[in-house]
Amino acid sequence: MASRGTEKALSLLSRLPRIELQNLKPNPGAKKNRTRGRGIHGGKTHGAGSKGSGQRQNFMRLGYETGNNPFYLRFPCQNYYKGHHLKVSYVPLCMGQLQKLIDTNRLRTDLPIDVTQLINTGLFNIKPLEKEGGFMLQDDGMDHFRATVNLEVQWASEATIAAVERNGGVVTTAYYDPMALEAAVNPIPFFKRGKAIPRRMLPPQHLIDYYTDPKNRGYLADPKLVANERLKLAQKYGYPLADSAILKPTDAKLKEYYLA
Amino acid sequence: MSLTLRLAFYPRLHCVVRNVVTSCSKGATDTVVVPKSSGAPLIIQDKWKDDKGAVEGREAWVETLDNSTNSTQLGLIHLNPRIFASYPRLDIIHENVVWQKKSRMVNYAHTKHRSEVRGGGKKPWPQKGSGRSRHGSIRSPLWKGGGIVHGPRAFTTQFYMLPYHKRVRGLISTLSAKFAQDDIKIVENLDMPSDEAGYLEQLCEDRYWGPSVLFVDESDIMPRNITLATDTLGHMNLMPVYGLNVYSMLKHTTLVLTVGATRLMEEKLLYNLDRPDGRSLVTRFRK
Repeated sequence: MASRGTEKALSLLSRLPRIELQNLKPNPGAKKNRTRGRGIHGGKTHGAGSKGSGQRQNFMRLGYETGNNPFYLRFPCQNYYKGHHLKVSYVPLCMGQLQKLIDTNRLRTDLPIDVTQLINTGLFNIKPLEKEGGFMLQDDGMDHFRATVNLEVQWASEATIAAVERNGGVVTTAYYDPMALEAAVNPIPFFKRGKAIPRRMLPPQHLIDYYTDPKNRGYLADPKLVANERLKLAQKYGYPLADSAILKPTDAKLKEYYLA
Repeated sequence: MSLTLRLAFYPRLHCVVRNVVTSCSKGATDTVVVPKSSGAPLIIQDKWKDDKGAVEGREAWVETLDNSTNSTQLGLIHLNPRIFASYPRLDIIHENVVWQKKSRMVNYAHTKHRSEVRGGGKKPWPQKGSGRSRHGSIRSPLWKGGGIVHGPRAFTTQFYMLPYHKRVRGLISTLSAKFAQDDIKIVENLDMPSDEAGYLEQLCEDRYWGPSVLFVDESDIMPRNITLATDTLGHMNLMPVYGLNVYSMLKHTTLVLTVGATRLMEEKLLYNLDRPDGRSLVTRFRK
């Protein structure tokens, strides 16, 4: 990119001697000559202190505080972190961010937008091994969301669902079990392992209710109920639905018939 | 060092037109190829899809290695400024050169450890009673002729990989720097009328193409004549696009690129400049 500084630098170069292997040099301060610790600078005890278990390489165990009750044993189990290792977290996907991705051509609207497509943009990363369950749709910027998308996330609130459906889009919440999520996030290494593709597991007990609820557009919900909820939501938030419009007849005979 | 005129001799452009076959690059949407019959001058211009727009492009003469034609200049080619007019990061160029050299260097220097020096298994004298200091081996590092503790050990390598984007920037910076210093020449193709080394040497001398020249083409199968001509010349070398590297570009004074090679190189470098999976190239041991 030729900004003024770049143009100046390049025009300077055109007048300077040719850049060759002989006249290259690093940035000042970039080169550090690593020397082995000898004598004053690292000699004598070589960082081991004097006498004691440290110098004799017979260290105390980690966390030991020379006899008093150590920090890691002082406090009993706390209830507030019970089950923390079982709880699943979701990566937030703001609607404003989604709109920007679509506007800058980083996401295609003609294809369904699911976990794999979002990861492919290179801007998100989901770590199933660290108990991350997928994406959750957040309402930041939903007021200026204009794109028509076929979106599949793992959690969505009512307002965000309305924002997507208002623009003629479709939103679904689907559950991915950790193995399936691992495959969805990194499909190529998964397929390279050559193992048979396992079935996607159903959601666990505490999430079944969420994904069977048509209000959340769950993938296990009855499609008819989902359509019903869609209509209800449109009426609640006050926006027209494209397919629920009343189409007037264009045929002349039919027009005559209905006028009478 | 005196300032030498490195500007090539630009004759007036005569209306000699040839059918130049340009590679269909991914990013380009509009390539102008002028047919033989028309008298208009040849201008090879590609419109890149993600043109940043606001910068002035770079232009270069399209030449030919055929001295028998009326004029050696055939026409004009528009070069992408993101590749040929980017800021010349000399420090990154230096890092690339250092990386290339260190990566292939093997240090054969070797010193013997106390266990490798011949002898020294027996305790030289008893622990107590002799009056001399206590020793366990005559080859300990304390002794003259003893083993070396932290000396060089043969086959030491310093292989490392420079970060991906530094390598890309290195190539771009070198191309920009070389272009700014008039050391890049674009030719239509590497076809030559003669297979003699003398013909090529004379050609380079006439056009003030530096002592060493690197010819870069698209594929690694080069035309017969230039292969024979450069075979005996050590200072003129052929290289496919995939072999392009900072060290070679700086080692040779002049870089001669074919139109096809230029377009292929631009396409690859532009893709690598802002690819969406750039993070995966930087993170280590995670897949």
